[in-house]
Amino acid sequence: MSRYSHLGLSGMLICCAAGLIAQTGREAYRQAYDVWRQAHGDLERDAGTGGPAQVAQADRAAAAAASFEAARIAHLKSSAEEAAQRRQLVFQNSPTRPSADVAPEATAGVVASGLQTVTRAIARFAGDKDRGIQQLRQSLERERVALVALSDSIQANQKSVAATSAAAAALDEASAKTKEAFGDQAAQLSQSVTQLEKESAAWADYYQQLARAIQVANAPPPPVNVISAAPRNDALPRVPLPRFVGAWTYPMSNGIFHGAQPEFVDLVVHEQNGHADGTLYGRFKPPPGSAIDPVVRFDFQGDFSGTAMQKFTLVTTDGAQGTLELIPGPAFNLLEVNFQTEPKVNKIRAANFILVKK
Amino acid sequence: MKRVALLGVLGLVIVSAQTPDLATLEQTAQKRNAEWESIAKDLSERMARILPCDPRYAAGITEVSRASEARLAALADYLKAASAQAFAETATAKILLDTEERRAVEVTMERADTGQEQTAVDTQSDALAQSVKQRSSLEDPRKVLEQIAAMVRQRAAASEQQVGATDTAVRLLRDLIAKFDARDAALRDESVAFEAERTRWNGYYAARLARAQTECAITQIGVQAAPARSKGKQ
Repeated sequence: MSRYSHLGLSGMLICCAAGLIAQTGREAYRQAYDVWRQAHGDLERDAGTGGPAQVAQADRAAAAAASFEAARIAHLKSSAEEAAQRRQLVFQNSPTRPSADVAPEATAGVVASGLQTVTRAIARFAGDKDRGIQQLRQSLERERVALVALSDSIQANQKSVAATSAAAAALDEASAKTKEAFGDQAAQLSQSVTQLEKESAAWADYYQQLARAIQVANAPPPPVNVISAAPRNDALPRVPLPRFVGAWTYPMSNGIFHGAQPEFVDLVVHEQNGHADGTLYGRFKPPPGSAIDPVVRFDFQGDFSGTAMQKFTLVTTDGAQGTLELIPGPAFNLLEVNFQTEPKVNKIRAANFILVKK
Repeated sequence: MKRVALLGVLGLVIVSAQTPDLATLEQTAQKRNAEWESIAKDLSERMARILPCDPRYAAGITEVSRASEARLAALADYLKAASAQAFAETATAKILLDTEERRAVEVTMERADTGQEQTAVDTQSDALAQSVKQRSSLEDPRKVLEQIAAMVRQRAAASEQQVGATDTAVRLLRDLIAKFDARDAALRDESVAFEAERTRWNGYYAARLARAQTECAITQIGVQAAPARSKGKQ
């Protein structure tokens, strides 16, 4: 049985998994993991004696592994993005601390001076028996009492201002430390994503080699009509051109993307003598309130290489240059697209998504 | 999770929409302070050159008293806005703590997931090593699987570190919340102390004005008594 005859089954598996990938929670990748383990079964044990059934099983397991890895990566990336947004609310600006300039210490000087004047006047009139002067002295006494109370209040307030400053300084210090700790954590999360991406590629390679190893033992010659993207004497793994060439589109529902969300994308890839050219036309959901142009259109070209990932140069209709990466998806009818262009005002400059073959 | 974060943002937006710009309030407070200080400093000297019953005497004290009230009102507005902003920050930080604590639990579960993946890949490696004995063509995929096993082990170790880093970050965040609370408590104390000082300033200017009235009154006693005495002499 040819590997290609199992595409329908693998496709079904992918469709189920695609629904899971659209979610990004832990449950989603756990479900994808269970699907993978179920599809995988005892493949290694059976590989020693197995035949076409194990080749088909390897195909299914490869698709399920890719779905799991994609779900897990999506979960990690989504967690990282959400965490970054949440943390930005707290750490973007320094914590508020009232300015000390609004309560200058000169007020204490004004009061001290007034108190001195009043105290001197009271002393001057201390022994005077005149009724009017006695009234004035009583009035001065009341003023002195008010000034003493005010002076005490100013001192108490100055102490409270100093206490707020100290608390704000301690808060600043703790905020910087916490921000740094979250930065370290985010860096580790980013490393985990990179690691998972490597693992994902390794799993695809593993299942491909495993299926090939079982096929070699049972029916060694590969199909003769498979066109290789790599030169015949290239030692690198050869990827069939149909994995890249043709018309591709973004699925209407449960699409997988990272970054800008596509509304629709059409991609056409042509090949002639190992040279690729084509066009991508798409529309993306702009962020709310953004003036960004949602439409992206560019032509690309370049030579196919022997690696799984193909990289071409692109030029948008606005003249921006950039690169386009095409990566075979977990199934034959899936293609991951990753493009980046030089920055242009109000233009989308990067996107990453998976297309389905038309 | 997103909804909680959204509420936090909304809280900040509401706070920022309700309170004027802090910098503007600070400038106003400084301006009012300068205005008051310029006339309050030499109040005694200025009053010494004016007779107590001269209308300019009471007017001079009233002017300083009003400038003082304006200064204290501007300062109160500034403190109120600063406190509102500070309290909103604390609320947002508490929401963050809540979500980070839940995230920490999830990271622990993810570590367990990675452990499970590691066990699975080790089991696969052992099984394939056995199968290689039956079919030598499996040697190449076996090597790839070994590499994957190494990568998963590396990720499991990283996952362990991630748990540690998350715990540390959450612990620091808890400490930070305590610092936010301490700052807010200090701000509340400052507001209370400020209001007490504000009341005392008003009390002082009332006493100063009362003294001016006494000064005028005792001067008037002399003026009213003088004609009576001269009449008696005639």
